[in-house]
Amino acid sequence: MTGPLAGLRVLELANETGQFCGKLLGDLGADVVKIEPPGGEPCRHIGPFLDDIPHPDRSLSFWYYNTSKRGITLSLETADGRELFRRLAADADVILETFRPGHLASLGLGYDALKAENPGLILCALTPFGQTGPWRDYLSTDLLHLAAGGEMASSGYDEADVPDAPPIAPGGGQAWHMGCHFAYISIMAALVHRSVTGLGQSIDASIHEACALTTEAAIANYVYRNETLLRQTGRHHAAAPTPRTQFLAKDGNYVTALVAGRLAPKYIGELADLLDSYGMAGDLKDPKYQDPAVIAANASHIIDDLIANFIASVPAEEAYHAAQERGFTWGAVRPSEALLDDPHLQDRGFWKQVEHPELGRSFVYPGEASIYNGSPWAISRRAPLIGEHNVEIFCDELGLSRGEMSILAESRAI
Amino acid sequence: MPQPRALENIRVVDFSWVRAGPWATRWLGALGAEIIKIEWPESERGRLPSSTTPQNLEVNLNTSGNFNDTNVNKKSLSLNVRSAKGLEIVKRLIGVSDIVIENFSSRVLRNWGLGYEEMCKIKPDIVYVSMSGYGHTGRNHHYTTFGPVAQSVAGLTYLSGLPDKPPAGWGWSYMDDTGGMYGAMCALTGLYHRNMTGRGQHIDQAQMVSSVPLNGPALLDFTVNKRGSRRAGFPPGNRAHWPGTPLVNNYRGPTVAPHNAYRTDPGGYNDWCVVVCHSDDEWRALVQVMGTPTPDKFATVAGRLEHQDELDAHIEAWTMTLDKYELTNRCQAAGVRALPVQSAEDRVEHDPQLRHRDMYLPMEHPALGTHKVQNAPFKMSETPAVNHLPSPLIGQHTREIVEGLLGYSHEELRAGFDDGTFWPSKRARFAYQEEMLQ
Repeated sequence: MTGPLAGLRVLELANETGQFCGKLLGDLGADVVKIEPPGGEPCRHIGPFLDDIPHPDRSLSFWYYNTSKRGITLSLETADGRELFRRLAADADVILETFRPGHLASLGLGYDALKAENPGLILCALTPFGQTGPWRDYLSTDLLHLAAGGEMASSGYDEADVPDAPPIAPGGGQAWHMGCHFAYISIMAALVHRSVTGLGQSIDASIHEACALTTEAAIANYVYRNETLLRQTGRHHAAAPTPRTQFLAKDGNYVTALVAGRLAPKYIGELADLLDSYGMAGDLKDPKYQDPAVIAANASHIIDDLIANFIASVPAEEAYHAAQERGFTWGAVRPSEALLDDPHLQDRGFWKQVEHPELGRSFVYPGEASIYNGSPWAISRRAPLIGEHNVEIFCDELGLSRGEMSILAESRAI
Repeated sequence: MPQPRALENIRVVDFSWVRAGPWATRWLGALGAEIIKIEWPESERGRLPSSTTPQNLEVNLNTSGNFNDTNVNKKSLSLNVRSAKGLEIVKRLIGVSDIVIENFSSRVLRNWGLGYEEMCKIKPDIVYVSMSGYGHTGRNHHYTTFGPVAQSVAGLTYLSGLPDKPPAGWGWSYMDDTGGMYGAMCALTGLYHRNMTGRGQHIDQAQMVSSVPLNGPALLDFTVNKRGSRRAGFPPGNRAHWPGTPLVNNYRGPTVAPHNAYRTDPGGYNDWCVVVCHSDDEWRALVQVMGTPTPDKFATVAGRLEHQDELDAHIEAWTMTLDKYELTNRCQAAGVRALPVQSAEDRVEHDPQLRHRDMYLPMEHPALGTHKVQNAPFKMSETPAVNHLPSPLIGQHTREIVEGLLGYSHEELRAGFDDGTFWPSKRARFAYQEEMLQ
């Protein structure tokens, strides 16, 4: 079986802001050809690097975000490069590009020019702020997007944990993920439309808008109630302080236990059984706790004494599984490396071995977000080395001779 | 003539509730699919409890502001799926639909007699997207999640915070928003695959599992370099690197300074900006904008990283003299990376870019009145994604769907209200339901 996007040709001209979208398409079976400037895309210089030795073919960040792609080099600043790009675009289904607004059009490679040769072409321009508007030429970073998008205004600390704390931007480069998820959705919608009508279109996608959409109910709290939300340690923003949900376990890890708002008699009974199985129920088995008024009056005792003491007495993983097996929506706060040992992920075949033939080694990569039972997700190859598929694309596909390709390389067109 | 929409003539049976599932189908609706949301007031989660009902309205099933924004572009069918008659109606609906989406626990639909194999008997090319906490396979498939728990278990919570402090985590359910993205992505991908091959499938999306690939470089740093995230200086707050700890990349871009949040005038709760310099050139441009003498030790990236505390104090002394938007304008005009920290109010009222892009446009809702609703973050030239329906009142489209689409008679509709198929027999009806029965 092949992936759901088998047969689809995508040209990706994307930096660190858009490369994840190309990975999403490639791992689902699309033939993604990554077009880099001669010398390689600058985000190859973002660490960490294999064995901490910096090199454009050793960036683990680049490795991760460019699986299942082939790579060629091409300078759009040269007439020869533009001509080759036009030929590739004439046979492409999708072009994903992250140039500053108007750049491709200024080279004569705007959507209208490319569409003339290929009416079914879908071109998605993913940029920090979109193609129009007063901020369209502003510079950005992941941190800048999480500030302006509202993520930081919602995340931080209780005053008791870190007095005077700044808003905190969660890590991992999530602004790029947010933009790429929406870009993927827009591309797939355009492909569905094309599968019915044969017609392509252009898409103007904005990372800022994607981030501004990714703060759950914060906008609704303002629009409907004019509320400004407080930042709280490890839990939801709120108009007024809410009870804590993060508890220190015996092994120094934390446990997320969502308790407040669920404190009804039935829940208390089950909670008493859970704590009692560790001899930690305290007074929770007292029949008085079957009265909602007594529960409400003792919420702090239940959360800050009984639950906190229980979790403090066991390792975080044990609290997590013991609670979940009894139906409680609790979880251990894990560093990423702990995921490698998660039996559930192993059961789902989540971790993938990816060959790096030039190194004679293979490495474990994270796998699929979702299992496509009828058309499997797969990492078809590791990230391309710089210009790795130039011969395959320029000679075998476009019909250039080795001599022609050499001349183009000497003139820095490829 | 109105523009066509990408998912014209696509019908979605939507069993989803709370946030992640409804956030997925909201976008399919904006793209033109007909979303039929199946609801039951006795087991409703998403409309109630509501912390986003306007202060001047009664809290009821039709007055949650957040429900409205999460459920625009849908129709609502109130139906007791746990009854034989309800199940028969659902099966008839699946027979004329393209996609089924639900975000229940892993065995719920199968226990109703609506597993994927059963759906295939009704509609062989159905695209079925299940959005559960842990997925339909794997030993923990029966575990339950909310966003914060999925984020904790999958390693995302740990990415947020200051060194030697508890995790700050995410101040909202990032994985409800993002789980919704994956639900929509699965549905669209499955639909495209069906259009190209004629084959449907079951796609098993899982909130906890979907979180893990959002942390790829950190995971590779461990599997390749054996460097774990449990280390001094990680996570580094808003910085790219925490001074005094080993110089390693922290997975949010290049390791540079300045890279932090700074207070701005007048010092209120959300009066902060962020400033980042990716190069010495950008640093020199910032020095020009600040217009204050700067120690030589800040001239190189190594120096700025080593003396980050002093550097940040130096920058903040300047940022505190400026409003965050004024600061943004001055920096960006000089080629310096800076933006304001924005609250929800800032985004809706003060962000000139979002205003220019029509991010928030007013829409009228029969119970809530007129309020701004969030729009798509992409503009499609031929098939724009637009909000065209306010969120449905519960059961608002029951007659339209049962009689108009499925061909039941009006008498059958009335009988279904009497016997508890379309609304609990003993529960008071809304006025629009009474009208529906006339």
